[in-house]
Amino acid sequence: MKFDGGQTVHICLVSETEKRSDFGGKGMTSSVVDSESPDLVCELDNVQGMVDALTSVRWKRHQDAVLELSEHGIVLIVEDTGCLQAKVYLQRELFVRYEYNAQGRPRFGVSLGLFVDCLNTFCIPGHSSTIEFKYPGPDMQLLLKSTASLSACTYAEIRTRIPDTISWDYNFEPAGSTPINFTVKSAALKEAIDDLEWPGSSVQIILQPVPPSVTFKAEGHGDLQIDFMYYANMDLLAAFNCDQIVSHRYKYKFLRATTSNIPSSVIKDNRGSKVTIGRGGMLKVQHLVSVARPSTSHPHIDSAGYQQPSRIAYIEFFVKPEVDEENVYE
Amino acid sequence: MKFKAFLTDHGVNLLEKRFLQALDKMGKVCHLYLTRDHAIFLHNLLNGDGIQSIAQFRKEALFEDYRISSQNDDRIAFTIDLSLLHRALRSIVTIYTEFGGSHSSDAGSPTLNRLQIKLVKKLPPHSQQPMPFLTFETKGYKSAVIQDVPISKPLSRSDVLELQAALDMAQDLPRTLVQVPDMNQLQNFVDRMKHVGDVLSVSISRYGDLHLQISTSLITLGAEFRKLLVIGEQAQVPAGDDNLSAQSRTRRAIERGDAMSVQVSVKHFFKSLQCHLAKPDCAFYGIGQQGSCLTVVFQFFVPGTRQTDKSISLHCRLPVLDPGTN
Repeated sequence: MKFDGGQTVHICLVSETEKRSDFGGKGMTSSVVDSESPDLVCELDNVQGMVDALTSVRWKRHQDAVLELSEHGIVLIVEDTGCLQAKVYLQRELFVRYEYNAQGRPRFGVSLGLFVDCLNTFCIPGHSSTIEFKYPGPDMQLLLKSTASLSACTYAEIRTRIPDTISWDYNFEPAGSTPINFTVKSAALKEAIDDLEWPGSSVQIILQPVPPSVTFKAEGHGDLQIDFMYYANMDLLAAFNCDQIVSHRYKYKFLRATTSNIPSSVIKDNRGSKVTIGRGGMLKVQHLVSVARPSTSHPHIDSAGYQQPSRIAYIEFFVKPEVDEENVYE
Repeated sequence: MKFKAFLTDHGVNLLEKRFLQALDKMGKVCHLYLTRDHAIFLHNLLNGDGIQSIAQFRKEALFEDYRISSQNDDRIAFTIDLSLLHRALRSIVTIYTEFGGSHSSDAGSPTLNRLQIKLVKKLPPHSQQPMPFLTFETKGYKSAVIQDVPISKPLSRSDVLELQAALDMAQDLPRTLVQVPDMNQLQNFVDRMKHVGDVLSVSISRYGDLHLQISTSLITLGAEFRKLLVIGEQAQVPAGDDNLSAQSRTRRAIERGDAMSVQVSVKHFFKSLQCHLAKPDCAFYGIGQQGSCLTVVFQFFVPGTRQTDKSISLHCRLPVLDPGTN
């Protein structure tokens, strides 16, 4: 994985040239404003995979997303009220063509819902869906075009906006010398979090080394406790690292966002989602979404659960804990 | 005023399995207009702003022993709830087919099991006032069944004249029609497109191009289908047009007078595509003269051939939106 969730993002507003669109200040900044060589031209042959990956971070109707382009790929970042952030990493290896010409890392904002709805129109079942992305267009748009057929063509121009200048990074740091994390079947994690809806607004996550286990606890309209015991069911918890008791509370609606929209393909693959607790209780949830082209996958390979690592999109959620001193044992 | 006929097996199949579900998508209530030769289902012909659909059957396509009489030149029209009609027909068909449709025999001697449809006036329960119904009647092994579908009072002479005038108006065909490449694909596409915006711009050229585009302040999303079969006025694709973008190509075609463009509601357009539930063999889109409406014409073949079945016709007219309303 070429991206590091904790890295500092280079905000590229210090570009040499700034171009504004003629339409009322919806312009964008970019490091290279030469229409002959756009910052990025790339082609993807599995749009559905991208739709799945982006849908997994779509937890409400109106969400602004920031796209950051680099030589390594595209990162999409969404955020909610300073408490929840999600990133989708689309590495350049996912693309059949990736031509990056910008200096620095251009960033621009789009409406996530619109972007996903738009991509959705490019994936008609039973039809090849190779799609070309180009940024920027003449008015700093993100340009999309299907390239599958000469006699039928779908295209889109998505208006971009200047992203917020604040860094959206949550600065995830390990809690101590030993990482505190566990890997759990994605379906089980989703089911547990779905079940926790009933008691109420806040969920406590407790990791303890002896016996190695993860506990989800919610108290509200009723009490509900869900335990994942490492030794009791090793299929469920694929990995467990914890050398101290750690306990933090998270708002249910943010916790729910981490699994509510993970695509059915992830649940079906049931690979595993990794949950890490960092310094100060920052929660990181990671999922893997396959962006492999369906026709190239072999049934016998699929049945073994093997996927080319390069055709995986990485999704990370960061959830800030509720501030509640009493519940922090560190 | 009398109407009585027997639905044929083919007619039952056409209505129950194909047309009623398609027409129900156009709107719950429609006019059923019966003349000496035709039965016609009409949506929104007398009231302005919805999608107009006209499904016309020659009487032989649906009925046998078709008898109609009225003081209004043997024409009867009324409004009917399509979902009720569909339910009644479905229910009666289950009884009717107990006998294997009209091809039944009883102890070696053929008896004709028939599905009768007629207009009646009946006194509904708890009412003093007789009400009009369209009644279906058939029998099974052990039971006979009657289904009464409530209908409106038959239209007055002047309303029927108005309906006939509207129908005559709606028969105008566009000068250029292009064939929809793959209706399922297009329906899938428009179904997804309707999340992005409400107003769809449709451009059709004499070169055989169909260009759909939704444009809002945040996004422009479009699809262009080229080299489609053209019926009516056509023209050669000008040299050099192939290298242009879809938008430039359409703009140039409009400037040359070889294309027209109208704006319609995405919802209407999607509805028009749902007519494929009637299982047409192909569909054509065209723009009415002076951009008055967007017309879609469905074509049905005689089963097993590529010849048009002239006893069935279905077309829709989508009202054009004022460009200022976008």
